[in-house]
Amino acid sequence: MYRQAAQLVDDSPSRWPAQSGNIVSVPNGSPLLEATGLRKSYGTRLVLDGVSLSVNGGEVVGLLGPNGAGKTTTLSLLATLLEPDSGEVRIAGAKPSPRHYALRRRLGFVPQSIALYPSLSGFQNLELFARLHGIPKLEARSECMRVLQEVGLAERADDPVAALSGGMKRRLNLACGMVHRPDLLLLDEPTVGVDPQSRDHILDTVRRAAAAGAAVVYSTHYMEEVERICSRALLIDSGKVVAAGTITELIALGGRQPLMEITFHHSAPLNWCDGLTGIEQISVPGNDGKVALQLESFALVNRILERAHLAGAQILEFSVHSPNLSDAFIALTGHALRDPIPDAH
Amino acid sequence: MFRTIALTFLNEFRLLLRDRVGLFMLLLAPIVIIAVAGFSLGNIYGARVTANAYTIPLVDDDHGAAAKAIVAAVDRDSAVTVIQVSTLSAARAVLRGRDRTPLAIVIPAGTTAALAAGHAADIVLYVDPIKRLEISAIEFRLADLCARITAAAHAEARLRFAQASAELRTRLERISANLSSLQAGIADYQRQMATARSRAETAIKAQINRQMRATIEALRAQTQAAIDQSIAQTKASLVTELGARRTALAVVRDYLTALKASEHDFDRWFSALKVAAGSHASAIPPPPALPTPPDPSVIAELSKPINLAFAEPHLPDPSSAGVGAAPATSIKFPSPLTPPVLPTAQLHADLEALAPAVLPIIPGTLGWTERSATGGSANVNSFDQYVPGFGITFLLIGMLMGISLGLIDERDWGTLARLRVSGAPLSGTLIGKLLARFLVGLVQMVVLLAIGYWTFGVSLGRSPAMLLLPAAAISFAAAAFGLIIACVARTHDSVMPFGAVVAMAMSAIGGCWWPLDFEPSWMRAFAQFLPTTWTMLAFNNLMIRNLPPASALWPSCATVALGITFLTIGLFGASRLYE
Repeated sequence: MYRQAAQLVDDSPSRWPAQSGNIVSVPNGSPLLEATGLRKSYGTRLVLDGVSLSVNGGEVVGLLGPNGAGKTTTLSLLATLLEPDSGEVRIAGAKPSPRHYALRRRLGFVPQSIALYPSLSGFQNLELFARLHGIPKLEARSECMRVLQEVGLAERADDPVAALSGGMKRRLNLACGMVHRPDLLLLDEPTVGVDPQSRDHILDTVRRAAAAGAAVVYSTHYMEEVERICSRALLIDSGKVVAAGTITELIALGGRQPLMEITFHHSAPLNWCDGLTGIEQISVPGNDGKVALQLESFALVNRILERAHLAGAQILEFSVHSPNLSDAFIALTGHALRDPIPDAH
Repeated sequence: MFRTIALTFLNEFRLLLRDRVGLFMLLLAPIVIIAVAGFSLGNIYGARVTANAYTIPLVDDDHGAAAKAIVAAVDRDSAVTVIQVSTLSAARAVLRGRDRTPLAIVIPAGTTAALAAGHAADIVLYVDPIKRLEISAIEFRLADLCARITAAAHAEARLRFAQASAELRTRLERISANLSSLQAGIADYQRQMATARSRAETAIKAQINRQMRATIEALRAQTQAAIDQSIAQTKASLVTELGARRTALAVVRDYLTALKASEHDFDRWFSALKVAAGSHASAIPPPPALPTPPDPSVIAELSKPINLAFAEPHLPDPSSAGVGAAPATSIKFPSPLTPPVLPTAQLHADLEALAPAVLPIIPGTLGWTERSATGGSANVNSFDQYVPGFGITFLLIGMLMGISLGLIDERDWGTLARLRVSGAPLSGTLIGKLLARFLVGLVQMVVLLAIGYWTFGVSLGRSPAMLLLPAAAISFAAAAFGLIIACVARTHDSVMPFGAVVAMAMSAIGGCWWPLDFEPSWMRAFAQFLPTTWTMLAFNNLMIRNLPPASALWPSCATVALGITFLTIGLFGASRLYE
């Protein structure tokens, strides 16, 4: 079947990157996805408490949070799999409902689990979801071929899913959510348990989808992924939005400053950094010669090195750690362990 | 080593206690099946059945004593409620229209007469062949009943026989006594007669002897006298005769003497002549003549027989001598004996009473014969029940578990969420799944029936194509019910035991494993809400009862109606769960 489709796709070039014909028209200035004040409880347990977000077409918004923060619930609400207790979701300005099938077809949902039929081939899985999204049979086949090539599984298209590696399954999982060129792509930790190569491939694919105009909500707790592909992110903790904004804004919200670690030969000279402003020594110098300094800015690095040189100190090595999203994440959510809230559905 | 064993042992129990499904399977599931089977099969093992008595339509075409006894005996059985109807068609109507009515009893005309005549007689059981076990249960009772009726009749006959025998024995004993008395009288009379005869003989003999001796003496004297007289007369006559002969004899003697002398002379002469003649002897003249013989009359006298006339003695006439002359009159016979008075009148009466005595006849044996009330065979191929029955069971198991586990798998895999997000209506997704399962179930049933036909010789009824109708109906209903199970049992661990128990319970209660009528009334009432009940009714009508194809229509419609109900409930539940 895949082979037949391959012939089809050879004659029909991929349209998604080239055109965004499936992308819905959104009123000027209106985000493609807009959620406001989402609240959701499972029994007496409040899982989401007033989460709001908006995503524009072509934008990848990260959804960050520790385990049990409410990321999956948020995505389920956005995917219309759950109904919020209060609050509202609007997709392309329309309020989705379980029976708003046409609106649902604009969604691409990639759940955290491998939502595939294990005994079917990748092509068959893709074709099924493509057809369910209303794509005609011949077109569906070509779309399947396109997306298989996109995720690098064209050669394994006819293999049963069960025979694929974890990374392949993840890529196919992503492909199934994208085969119909959704306007809104909701990704729930799509890179869990995959190797770096597959992760890169997945992230590239998501980036291409966004570049094609899709609005993407990317849920993960891999900070570096958010930093790589997201323009904005929401940090959720215990069902509440702790922080939201661009990555830089989030890092800044974390309040962390650059950290410099210096290892001196023998020990640091006495009072070697007296007079330097914007520096806070955060560890007591020991016999191991290591010193940790918090800097107000990266500009102080050169001055510190000069002062050490002038003090006759011999520096064996030094490192400067720039504050990142992980630092902000820890700063904003704390170090306490988070037990996930049992999911009701 | 021992530590490992002990820790593993304890850990297994800890795991088991936390495995609710395992505990369910260990206890609750068997309890459910045990309860269903126990309530259903209680009748077989002699449970109280008053509330669940079988209804038996009964047609009495005999109207005799035996029929009344049969009716009374059947009616007395607490396990049976008898409805007397007048015709076989009415009995068939009852058979069709009532629960727990596995057969109708017809007592043919002439049953009583046949039994009374000592012949075997059969009542006829018009059976619903599907209810074989119930039929057997009733036949088991019926066998006992027939045996009891036969035994009672035999006992009564034996009683009558014993009474007649006793009466006969009394009569025979009386006859025997009379005969003995008669025999003794006769013997006594014989003895008396013998004595009398002996005496008479002796007396007569003595008297005869006396009379004979006297007569003989008289006769002897008279005879002797007559003989003497005759001898004297004969002697005188003989002397006369002899004198005449003597004279004649002297003449002859003289002649002979003379002849002798002449003969000597002649001889001498003839010799001289011969000598003298020499050669002329031939010329010799004839010899001289011989003396003249005596007178022939004399010779004749000699030759004539002696006329010895014996004087007939003048013997005395015995009668004149008194010999045999009325000697009897003179014999005195003993006076005749008076014969004894024999009890012949009583004997005659007894014998006459004995003669027409009719010995009682041992009644014949009461039994039964089976006929199908539905037109099919009374003897059912068990596979006609079990192929569709267990086919439905495994269809249910496959359907309930398949649909439930399929939905749970899809939910766990996330494909269900993905399907929903795809914009496909949940109802469409579910109906699509059910439709696929429906077709699988239908094919499963068709294949099982085909295998049953080729391998086990099951009946496919008058119209095999009609079997598709109940098969399709149950496939639909089972698929729809599977959706309900999927809404109730929402994990793999719970679907397996729950689905299996529900499938088995539905099959058992619905009559897939045994006839529905085995079950108590409350269970039968509950069974009306199960598609298995109606499907089995349809299959049984077609395959076992061999009824027309239309007989499967209504049960199949009921199954479909239940299926629609299940589908509605299932879709509602699924929409609540998954939408």
